[in-house]
Amino acid sequence: MIEAHGIGGQSDLPIPLELAVSGAVAALVLSFTVLVVAWRRPRYAGPDGIAGGRPVPAALSAVVLSPYTRVGLRVLGFVVLLFAVATAVAGVDQLTNPFFGIVYIWLWVGVAFASLLLGPVWKAISPVRTITDLLHRATGGDPEHGVRDWPTWLGVWPGALGLYAFVWLELVYDGRDTLADVRLWFAVYVAVMLVGGAVFGSRFHQHADPFEVYSTMVSRLSPWAVVDGRVVVRSPLANLATTPPSPGLAAVVGVLFGSTAFDSFSGSTFWLKAVYDAPVHATVMYNLGLLVFCLVAGLLFAVGSSLTPVGKDLQRSRLPRLLAHSMVPIIAAYIVAHYLTFLVDYGWQTLARASDPFGKGWDILGTAGLTPGYWFSYHPTLLATIKVLAVVTGHVTAAVAAHDRAIRLLPARHQITGQLPLLFTMVGFTAGGLYLLFSA
Amino acid sequence: MRIVPLHRPSRAASAVACAALLAAGLAACGGSDGGGGSGSDKDPVTVEVTFKDGEVTPSGDRVELAVGQELDLEVTADEPGTIHVHSDPEQELEYPQGTKTFTLDFDRPGQIEVESHDLDVVIAQLEVR
Repeated sequence: MIEAHGIGGQSDLPIPLELAVSGAVAALVLSFTVLVVAWRRPRYAGPDGIAGGRPVPAALSAVVLSPYTRVGLRVLGFVVLLFAVATAVAGVDQLTNPFFGIVYIWLWVGVAFASLLLGPVWKAISPVRTITDLLHRATGGDPEHGVRDWPTWLGVWPGALGLYAFVWLELVYDGRDTLADVRLWFAVYVAVMLVGGAVFGSRFHQHADPFEVYSTMVSRLSPWAVVDGRVVVRSPLANLATTPPSPGLAAVVGVLFGSTAFDSFSGSTFWLKAVYDAPVHATVMYNLGLLVFCLVAGLLFAVGSSLTPVGKDLQRSRLPRLLAHSMVPIIAAYIVAHYLTFLVDYGWQTLARASDPFGKGWDILGTAGLTPGYWFSYHPTLLATIKVLAVVTGHVTAAVAAHDRAIRLLPARHQITGQLPLLFTMVGFTAGGLYLLFSA
Repeated sequence: MRIVPLHRPSRAASAVACAALLAAGLAACGGSDGGGGSGSDKDPVTVEVTFKDGEVTPSGDRVELAVGQELDLEVTADEPGTIHVHSDPEQELEYPQGTKTFTLDFDRPGQIEVESHDLDVVIAQLEVR
């Protein structure tokens, strides 16, 4: 039940206290430095702007945007889907079945890391998007809009709900390492995606596919964008500022940060003792724990951003979604810190297991002999330093992103003081994240 | 949990644990003298685990270990069961009714959970440095 991630055994050592404290102090000091020394006129576009960038060489741009690449990536995504389905249906019900690694590591962690570096990866390979696309093309429909418009008021709320459903499977549900249960979760996921895609077209995937919402959100921290049919490289902050302020964006932020924090927290001695001593079953405690962490993270952010004073022409209730993009660097950094070794070691191990998909001793990919090197395990100080640097970098990026948006939104007289509530909330998230990396 | 230095390691238990470790593909076993010889000259750490009436002590304690340092899990139980050690590869320690000592050591730094799956409880978290 309490097995971390439903996969893998040994986990990272906690980071040393001195590093955690230095990181938190650095975050605090740098936040106010940003506030005081940063520019006073908005430098990046608003959510609907498409700021420019430096074009990459034309040949590279042509290759990336060519239909062959597009189709190639879709085929790759589809082949992995078929492979995953085969392991889910015909594989053995043990953690050695690569299905678990494919969904918990490659999909959940790998796609996020890849999106951070390369752009919206899941959008490019998503097999459910591919099916929707083919379906609408075959029936002469509109692959993007389907037969009904996606309701604007719904925004990415379904995506937030889907993300919660996934982290619940990963962190709470007893059957997370039972093949039939994980298979059922994904069967329901695919069914919902196909029905939604048939009705709303790919707009549905954009707003309701948890993996696409997540991947596309963190992809805005990559330096790539497409402007006027050309791939450009530009500041991740410029990309981040183009995040659409959809309803539910703050909820996505809450679920992603809250669940990752809960994953850390559930390894702390405090939590283990609390679960042991509680009068209710451990499952109840885990359900409550995850829910409380996600709600608290989402509400803290909503309150922190809503306390920003606004002029008469802006509704206060719109503030969380207009500022939510600034939390993405904090989330991404924390996810990097939390999952780095997990991805490297067990992602590798999954590749080995994928070579024997049905537990019959095969070696179809020639990778069966790969074993994780556990390099980071043997360099714990370096690993801890990387984690803290990532968290502090993410925090500073977040503070800058929030500052740029705040001076766009705030009336002149509140431009500096008005940023304080959100800034304190961010320092709280970062310090909390560091504390969890230290204590769990 | 009480952590006491162990004076006389149980040879039989070491042998059993060694066999289990070797079977699991982990080659880092103590020498035949039951102590030392495995990369750390620190005294073994003993953790007393007690299963009684469906409860277990300790629950969730941290235990600090050096790489190669021996851990003696002294299990006293009122009925037989299995302890899960979440190292890589995982290890299963089957204990009988009565008392049995398992000797383990770990050659890779990290955090390792020792669990009872029967009771759904983390008994201890080993911090191997």
